[in-house]
Amino acid sequence: MTARIATEGLDKSFATPVLKQVALQISPGSIHGLVGENGAGKSTLVNIISGLLPPDSGSIALDGRSYSPASRKAALVAGIALASQELSLIDTLSVAENILLASFPQKALGINRHAVRQRARALMDLVGLEHLSPQTPLAQLSLAEKQLVELAKALSMPEETTRLLILDEPTSALTSPQANLLHQIIKQRSAAGLSVIYVSHRLDDVLSVCDTVSVLRDGVIQLTAACTSLTSNDLIRAMSREELLRHSDDKPRAFGEVRLTVEQLSSTDFPEPISLHCHRGEILGIAGLSGAGRSELLHAIYGLSAERQGRVVLHAAGPDTVIDSASTAANNGIALIAEDRKSQGIFSGKSVSLNTTIAGLGKLGGALSTILPKREQRVSEELIAQLRVKCEGPLQTIDELSGGNQQKLLVARWLQAKSDVWLLDEPTRGVDVGSKLAIHNQLRQLRDQGATILIASSELEELTALCDRILVLSNKKAVATYDRGQWSKEMLLEAAFSNYQGPRAAAG
Amino acid sequence: MLRKLNLVFEELFIFIALLLLVMFFGVMAENFFTAGTLTAILTQLPALTVVTIGMTLVLISGGIDLSVGSVVALSAGVIGIAFTVFELPLIIAAALGIVAGGCAGLVNGVLGSYFRLPVFIVTLGMLEAGRGLAYMVTDSQTVYIGASIQSLSLPISGIGLSPSFLVSLGLVVLAQYALTRTVFGRYLIAIGTNEQAAKISGIRTEPYLTWVLVISGLLAGLGGLMNAAYLGASDPNAALGLELSAIAAAVIGGTSLMGGRGSIVGAFIGVLIISVLQNGLAQLGVSEPVKRVITGLVIILAVLLDRWRSR
Repeated sequence: MTARIATEGLDKSFATPVLKQVALQISPGSIHGLVGENGAGKSTLVNIISGLLPPDSGSIALDGRSYSPASRKAALVAGIALASQELSLIDTLSVAENILLASFPQKALGINRHAVRQRARALMDLVGLEHLSPQTPLAQLSLAEKQLVELAKALSMPEETTRLLILDEPTSALTSPQANLLHQIIKQRSAAGLSVIYVSHRLDDVLSVCDTVSVLRDGVIQLTAACTSLTSNDLIRAMSREELLRHSDDKPRAFGEVRLTVEQLSSTDFPEPISLHCHRGEILGIAGLSGAGRSELLHAIYGLSAERQGRVVLHAAGPDTVIDSASTAANNGIALIAEDRKSQGIFSGKSVSLNTTIAGLGKLGGALSTILPKREQRVSEELIAQLRVKCEGPLQTIDELSGGNQQKLLVARWLQAKSDVWLLDEPTRGVDVGSKLAIHNQLRQLRDQGATILIASSELEELTALCDRILVLSNKKAVATYDRGQWSKEMLLEAAFSNYQGPRAAAG
Repeated sequence: MLRKLNLVFEELFIFIALLLLVMFFGVMAENFFTAGTLTAILTQLPALTVVTIGMTLVLISGGIDLSVGSVVALSAGVIGIAFTVFELPLIIAAALGIVAGGCAGLVNGVLGSYFRLPVFIVTLGMLEAGRGLAYMVTDSQTVYIGASIQSLSLPISGIGLSPSFLVSLGLVVLAQYALTRTVFGRYLIAIGTNEQAAKISGIRTEPYLTWVLVISGLLAGLGGLMNAAYLGASDPNAALGLELSAIAAAVIGGTSLMGGRGSIVGAFIGVLIISVLQNGLAQLGVSEPVKRVITGLVIILAVLLDRWRSR
């Protein structure tokens, strides 16, 4: 039998190879699970098949015919439906308009509104949105409801022309009954001949709904097998790579006193309170799958979240400081280097020197304090030299620097502000290998000088190489903490997946 | 070294444009290089200059202040009534006018930063309300103040420049210093460039965004005093559309409407360009409608040049 979709030798690189010689075959009517840890290449593979990215090399065949979509639109025409994890919905349109955006029923002049409502109604009833009116503005919906709308949108293509349905984390916001309904729908559709690619962190779901599963690790398919023969532990084992985990310095090191205490901290992003502490001279890692709440936790510690509850306390020789806002955090020695450098880090279009000194200006003593240009430039020249930032000098515009060098300047910014508690969110994402090692060494040096460091990273190798302890978040909840030398990648991954299994919250 | 030149270059560029404009009118209009022209320009200039300083600071912080024209009229009205009806000393009346401007700015600032309303809308509301208040204060009548206030806009003998002009010039220097050499100015630039990054860098954005609108209000209040001095009266219809001239001057001077970039000296040269243009065209006998078309084109041209320059 000809495969519905067959990829052959797919390669894709961004800065580094993301997919290597991927060969995947999916039969007509098959529900094919795709699992792997963060950065394994799942999204890239799905994006290539759905026409959002071109492969560097390799080929795809759809029902035996060569298929190389030039755009998402071309893939749609070929019969590839996609329900994306990053919902592709528009807040200002109604539910009905969102569902049928790609395929509005036309009449002689413009859109047939009656048909839009009718078809949207049918699809909404199918996915369990009977209680909503098709005219409801999307913005009024909960995240779970939006996810169902995304699904209805993917199902809006005519059944006879849809050949492959791709679901990327379709149940991440759904309750148990909602997810069950979704699984029922795709089982029915697949019985009628539709092929499905099902990407999910919820391994139990994958094993129960799919007939076949493939495990991706570092862009390579490690395993493709029938689900009946597998357990979730088999999948986790296939995803992890044990041999790289042992390090020469696996002995626990001695720390100073506790510098940072987080007590029962919660926010709208993670309703279950999280407590942690970190010593002077310690690096605490925060691990978790994407969407597990790593960034949200760091932002809440720093005082940035909405409806933040609980306490964050900095201990020093003098009286303790309670952190209640970003400015208290910054002015009492906490540094936050956010994940999105462009929108939350650098001042674009401004000089290296402005970018380096901005956080330390608060220490000058008041808004009317004078900035001496000569001194400012000298300060940033010293930091440029210390961190080996490749740039023409303090007056160069920061945008002209590479990502790695911009990242070094953010470290410089907080060094200049004399920070000794560092909250780092994906500190080496998108930087070249050389800068990555330089940043790691800088962090080790800071640690040895007594700094307290929290690193959130999606790369387990980065955390296991740097950290003294690793806190694992799973589905917005702190599930485990491991000390150096006591972890294995398998344990960390198992913990990261743990809160996606088990019973889900009741319908709500 | 090149980069340093580039920094000087920013203002040099429009200064050359100003010189070319002056030379153009010097050649074209017979009477351009006369004391009369200079006096005309110098007397009208101070009010627009001080208002433009405030506007430029607000634009750099990423906001906008549409209320300045109305606040000028409100302040002038307060001064006129305090002086003539309540018979307060001129200095007290002037202070009251400036404080009234500051209050309007404070309302703008608090609503904009602590209540998180869009500044565009808040100051648009103040544009309307401020004008209404100016009518209420003056009972919709022009209030004659007389010679005592006019001395502010008359040249001091020996110097040839009016107190108003000297004050506005002093404020240009002070504001340019504050923008480029103080933490306050640096924070305004940072907030206007990337508010989220500014917050993460430990800057409490709310007080700064409030203060910059208070400063703009105070300067508009001062503009009201200068306007009353120039007219010798408080006119509730004064300074209609002044906010647009101030925005135009700031933009001609290289200030970005997106926030984060601008110069007070540049904006002042922008004010000069607008004044020279208006007076020069008037001397050439260009009609009012054509004058406005040309002024509009110059503003658009300035932004085009700026775009081209920053590439």
